[in-house]
Amino acid sequence: MKYLAIVFMFSISLMGASTEVVQYMNELQSAAKTENRSFGGFDAARGKEIFTSTHIGKQGKPIACTSCHSLNLASSGKNSLTGKVIDPLSPRANPQRLTSAKEVKKWLRRNFVDVYAREGTAQEKGDVLAYILKN
Amino acid sequence: MKTILNLSVAALILAGGAYLYADDDREEGEHRHHASMVTKPLSKQDKAATALYTKECGACHFAYQPEFLPKNSWDKTMKRLDNHFGTDATLEPIDYKTIQNYLMVHASRNDRMTDTKGAVAIRISETPYFVREHREIPKKMVTQPEVKSFANCASYHTKAASGSYREREVRIPNYGRLE
Repeated sequence: MKYLAIVFMFSISLMGASTEVVQYMNELQSAAKTENRSFGGFDAARGKEIFTSTHIGKQGKPIACTSCHSLNLASSGKNSLTGKVIDPLSPRANPQRLTSAKEVKKWLRRNFVDVYAREGTAQEKGDVLAYILKN
Repeated sequence: MKTILNLSVAALILAGGAYLYADDDREEGEHRHHASMVTKPLSKQDKAATALYTKECGACHFAYQPEFLPKNSWDKTMKRLDNHFGTDATLEPIDYKTIQNYLMVHASRNDRMTDTKGAVAIRISETPYFVREHREIPKKMVTQPEVKSFANCASYHTKAASGSYREREVRIPNYGRLE
């Protein structure tokens, strides 16, 4: 298990997350394990589902992450309320992404509430990050 | 005689130098104009606060200069960041404090511009001065997709980020300059 975690962390850092974000994902892994004993690691496919599915958000209206962030993570997105351009989420397209743990935590906190009207679980957050890292 | 001459020249040079370099807080071409809302950061701390405000409060929309609303409006906004015009805009406690303080320091004190007769405006577009200045803009120019609403200052005001809102700088997407 520990070996898997090490390999996983190593591959994440290769894909474009900074050390502090890798550290954060490590913390998420521990938390996810506590939440769910059968947790077997973050999954990008689950993350894609979380990211692209539509839900009744905090405003009481249907919304998805892709409402503001484009479906293609390498493209720019657009804030659906204000029209403000959002830089691509893909670390390959935008090297600033997934470098600051503070920023990552902040946006995961806020945007889960916007789309899901609740905080994301550790597993959900990790899955989403795994999805972003893969794209 | 020669000593006096030398001393006088030296004194003149010193005076001239002092004159040239003393007045460095007034940049060329910049003057307080009712359409220009530039406030220059004074200290390193203030610079950092400005940068934080611009970054955090400019992430989803234009980072409106704090001078456009009075304290009670900013206070109301900051109290409900969990429901900021329908979205979650919550901050880390330290950042919250810095921005809260920044807003209080730079909020409007000019009643003529921002007085809403007791009501607490949360939209700059609801303040009297704004309403007056924008009363002749046709609705379609504002609701078009490139603009969306009056919240999108920078879509028209090409120098908004630097605090300038002069008419000559306005370029309306798909319509051009103001007549």
